[in-house]
Amino acid sequence: MRPEADERGRGCVVKTRRRPLQVVTVALAAAMLLSACDSADDGGGDGGDPTKLTVWMMGEGGEAQNAFLDEVEQQFRTKHPNTDVVVQYVPWLEAPKKFQAALAGGEGPDVTELGNTETQGWAEQEALADLTDRLAGWAPGQDILPDLVKNAQLDGKQYGIPWYAGVRAIFYRTDWFAEAGVQPPKNWDELVQVAKAVQAKKPGTYGIALPGNSELPFYSFLWGAGGEIATENGGTWKSGYTSPEARKAVTFWTDLVTVHKVAPPAAAGWNEVDARTQFATGKAAMAFAGSWQQAAMLKADPELSKVWGTFPIPGPDGGPAPAFAGGSDIAIWEDSKAKDVAWDYVTVLLEKQNNKKWADSLSFFPVYKDLVGSGYNDDKIMAAFAASMRSTKLTPMTPKWVEVSRNKTVTQVMNSSIMKGQKTVDQATADAAAEIESILNAK
Amino acid sequence: MTDVTTERPAVPVPRWSRGAGRLPYLLMLPCLVVIAVLLLWPLVQIGVMSLYDLDSVRQVRGDREWPWAGLANYRDILTDPFFHTVLRNTVLFAAANVVLTMVLGTLVGLLLHRLGRRMAAFVGACVLLAWATPALTGTITWKWIFDDTNGLVTWLFNALPDGLSRSVFGRADWTGYGWFNAPLSFFAILTLVVVWHSFPFVAVSVLAGLKSLPPELLEAARVDGAGPWRVFRSVTFPLLRPVFGILVVLSTIWDFKVFTQQFVLAGGTQDRPTFMLSIYSYATAFSPPPKYGLGAAIAVVLTVILLVVTGVYVRALLRQEEL
Repeated sequence: MRPEADERGRGCVVKTRRRPLQVVTVALAAAMLLSACDSADDGGGDGGDPTKLTVWMMGEGGEAQNAFLDEVEQQFRTKHPNTDVVVQYVPWLEAPKKFQAALAGGEGPDVTELGNTETQGWAEQEALADLTDRLAGWAPGQDILPDLVKNAQLDGKQYGIPWYAGVRAIFYRTDWFAEAGVQPPKNWDELVQVAKAVQAKKPGTYGIALPGNSELPFYSFLWGAGGEIATENGGTWKSGYTSPEARKAVTFWTDLVTVHKVAPPAAAGWNEVDARTQFATGKAAMAFAGSWQQAAMLKADPELSKVWGTFPIPGPDGGPAPAFAGGSDIAIWEDSKAKDVAWDYVTVLLEKQNNKKWADSLSFFPVYKDLVGSGYNDDKIMAAFAASMRSTKLTPMTPKWVEVSRNKTVTQVMNSSIMKGQKTVDQATADAAAEIESILNAK
Repeated sequence: MTDVTTERPAVPVPRWSRGAGRLPYLLMLPCLVVIAVLLLWPLVQIGVMSLYDLDSVRQVRGDREWPWAGLANYRDILTDPFFHTVLRNTVLFAAANVVLTMVLGTLVGLLLHRLGRRMAAFVGACVLLAWATPALTGTITWKWIFDDTNGLVTWLFNALPDGLSRSVFGRADWTGYGWFNAPLSFFAILTLVVVWHSFPFVAVSVLAGLKSLPPELLEAARVDGAGPWRVFRSVTFPLLRPVFGILVVLSTIWDFKVFTQQFVLAGGTQDRPTFMLSIYSYATAFSPPPKYGLGAAIAVVLTVILLVVTGVYVRALLRQEEL
């Protein structure tokens, strides 16, 4: 009977091995909750100034950012001398979990930064305070780019104030272009020719690092061709993906992989970071990236700045194509007990000169019309982005959009299924249009 | 804690006084409380949540009402054709992985048993390293190995003679090949990673079982002229049946709810054609917009499937013990 005794012993080992793990998990979860708890709630609810204002900033911070935020705090404290501003950095990838935990636990920041594609989603979750009246009564707010303002609205109410913005353009290797004797392309045909020429000149590299599994760079091609994602008419959404314009864009985008082969089959699975990394590590001649991603690319290769240039994503027949304006909003947390003071902080943060200084430090654009309009034309990198900033477009303005974009990833699936050879353009666009309409029109 | 109960029969049976009768239960109490709080409570919670329409954190927090959904969440899932794809993926993947893990683990266990001391220690250490590697780190490493541009596998395939590669696979240039593009090749890689992670446990358990077998039995069989396969089939396997039974149950549970490896290899929750139940549940519950009720219902379905499968196994196991 020895085997049995042996067996029982092992069962025991397995059990005790698993239980401590769960204890650890719960302990960690408890610790996270606790640390989320101590972040606020010392705001005095008695009408006086709170002793502390908690501000969440995205990313890791840095010297320039810290110095800037210290300066903002000084300016803010001339009005609220007794309020201490506590800035906490939240890594971008952690933010959704941190927000969810803060919301579930009932404790969060007073002011927070958040990605401008997320604002509607969190507003829908009632995480953010309604700022409609405050924005209307604040003079500088009227100069903010209208598309950005609209993008932070849900059902006509304002839940975020645009803070900085940026668009995607194409980064390219100036040295490889010179070797192949080509110029930055001005339209779609040239883009293909240039990519082929450089790829032929540099064997083992890709003409263009195409992020087949992301949506925002693709929208520039869609909008450039005159297509639309979805439009609303009398409360019903209709997807534009089956239109000839949209199909032309989808065909062009996927042909880069399947027909022209200037991007590899693996590109069907690349997101923007994957694709950008190909460029930064010297494996691709062109890549889509935002101006703010320069630092990340230079981390991979500091020498890159000597040999890179940018040009706007071209439209089919020339001229920059419309681009989606990504960036960040500033919002006030719905659970904050010091919303008035928080708003004062927001207005200092968004004061025009502060806004420009901050945007510059991140290689983004400020959000004010008068500030974006000039001053970038001589900048080797920023000029191309400034050109695209003049014609931005938005993804469909409905809280249901986030399901299309983030959960079902309809556009990404549409494009990558064609690149993988699983569907034809006609099938894929028809399927995507049907799915978008069923999601956006759900009751 | 478990030791106390399992070893009790070994001590001379005490006279059952009232106090002694309660003592073991008293000693087990802390353990039971921990289990109840950590295992049962979340389970109950999931079950309850699956019956409501939950799509906001405010509801989870208790600020908002929980609209009663009854079995609507379950109906939505079970009538969704996508669920059938997910279920098929899960079952086929689990079946393939359990079989491969068991076969490979058993073979390595037998090998370890036959090897000399030093070699066994060396191979054992190598095998255990795979087991000791955390799922996350191990999977990231595998993802690098299959990287489309700089990965080892891409490099190896590129190193094949062009003619050979073209005649076998139809292509000579593998740079930029999408290893994760087709669902089948994705699942093949996922299987590789999961089996790599889980066969060492099987190997070591089988080895422990083998060590406990009386060597005379195996020798007698061999003297009678039985070959290695016959020895395994007629002597080793029947003696170790309980070990294999437990291992199959554990492997089934693990392979049914593979999550980390898939999440990392697929780069998140975007690759819907390769969804399996656990990642489907996660994506439904937590990808924006959150649908906690629906996600919970999927988790319950997964749990029920596991309970049924393991229940059948354990029953079969117990019945064999009785014989």
